[in-house]
Amino acid sequence: MSENVFVISAAMIPFGKHRTSSYVGLAVSPLIDAIRDAGIEKSDVDAVYVGHSYGGMMTGQRICKEIGLGTVPTVNVDNACSSGATAIHEAWQAISQGLIDIAVVIGVEKLTQFGGGTLPLSPEDREVKQGIIMPAVYAMRATRYLHETDATPEDLALVSVKARKHGALNPFAQFRKETTVEEVLNARRVADPLTLPMCCPTGDGAAVVVLASERARKRLDSKPGIRVAASVLHSGHVAEGFRDMIKPEISYDSARDAYAMAGVGPKDLDMIELHDAFSIAELIYYEAFGLAEPGHGVDLIRDGKTTFGGDVVVNPSGGLLSKGHPVGASGVAQVAEAFWQLTDQAGARQIDKARWAMTHVTGGGTAGLDHGACTIHIFEAA
Amino acid sequence: MTTTTEAPASQPIADMEADSLIGTFPEGQRLVGSQCNTCGCTMIGSRVVCSSCISRDVSRVALPSTGVLYSFTRIHVGTAGIRPLGYVDLDNGVRTLADIREGDVPLRPDMRVELGIDDDDWFFTPAAGEKRED
Ligand SMILES: [Zn+2]
Repeated sequence: MSENVFVISAAMIPFGKHRTSSYVGLAVSPLIDAIRDAGIEKSDVDAVYVGHSYGGMMTGQRICKEIGLGTVPTVNVDNACSSGATAIHEAWQAISQGLIDIAVVIGVEKLTQFGGGTLPLSPEDREVKQGIIMPAVYAMRATRYLHETDATPEDLALVSVKARKHGALNPFAQFRKETTVEEVLNARRVADPLTLPMCCPTGDGAAVVVLASERARKRLDSKPGIRVAASVLHSGHVAEGFRDMIKPEISYDSARDAYAMAGVGPKDLDMIELHDAFSIAELIYYEAFGLAEPGHGVDLIRDGKTTFGGDVVVNPSGGLLSKGHPVGASGVAQVAEAFWQLTDQAGARQIDKARWAMTHVTGGGTAGLDHGACTIHIFEAA
Repeated sequence: MTTTTEAPASQPIADMEADSLIGTFPEGQRLVGSQCNTCGCTMIGSRVVCSSCISRDVSRVALPSTGVLYSFTRIHVGTAGIRPLGYVDLDNGVRTLADIREGDVPLRPDMRVELGIDDDDWFFTPAAGEKRED
């Protein structure tokens, strides 16, 4: 018997370079704000789930002790970029099984600790030893996509232009200035055909959501909330030989399972926050989510179908490309955006009459896998 | 003294003895692969367990020195200058990440490539006979 689970509050700090803040300093204020906004006492919290990748030992406990939130289980979750969403999935599982009523989920990451450059990957990995970096993985996806479809580098740039346009409306975004196709194409090259604005920035961030059972929500006198209609977590499957890099099975399969669990399809969605770590990813994920036929994701960006006024607004927050991508925080920040959009609190970037939202975040560079992890959530205004 | 059954100790595996993927075989220097003697699955690198059937009965084999370039990029960041890198699908179906050395023929997906070795460096380069595509 699975019980309905709701997100009843969300808080986050603007993503950016917060060099003087530790993991604790990044996370404590959204933690307090999310608890207050949920209308709960800290004694109401049954469990804490903390997504991070580079925070080190006991990151969650270090944060929680600052506000005297102890005793209850605190679970630290590392699934690379999918850490925060995986933490939400774990909280959802516990509540939907009736084990607990209220969970706090923290996503936090401090990437400025590395002083810039690309994300550190596991030195145990064979391809990491050979020099792979995440921009190169996506660049090879892009090369193949341009080879197999009629997409061009200008189309890759359009994704960044849309992300910056959305980010300009979002006070939480790291980049708040619009850009043009020309600027994107003429920017510094990172890994051909990707230029710097086609890659998500390095930054720091923290986001917190509170999840509650239907029972707890009623007791709390029904603050605005959204229902978790689906929560899906998949891990990557190894391929020793050919892998179609523009049809990532982990995202296709996760989306299929999420739609089945929620009982909705791509046409029902009003917004999607997807894992646009690099601009090519967005085109491929349009196809993975059934918004377009394989090879035709590019039509959606050209025709403006995925911005405000289109069929479905993709990354209204500005996405990872514009809002920023502090890895462990990103999945929770996506859910915060869904919460604000579906409860009419998104300000200048509010989507008119939004009822259904999907969030999608993958994680990890591991040889032989498309991605290490993929988490998809679907939410309904409630 | 009573006889009891004692659980056998699992042993750690030294799976990272050699970082290099290049080895010497009767046919010359080749990429090192592993083949499962139970199910036949072929894999890149010195492996100790078959990722398909979890058999530990795997043998070291030479991988083909020719294949097809699936995709590639030129990395501009980092200290190595511009570094072309790609995925090569070898003629027996195994995929490997590889440095790509560019010659006179522009790189494109699906072109034939062959293994090259320069002292300790190994790479793939457009195969002899690959023509410019204009
Ligand atoms: Zn086998």
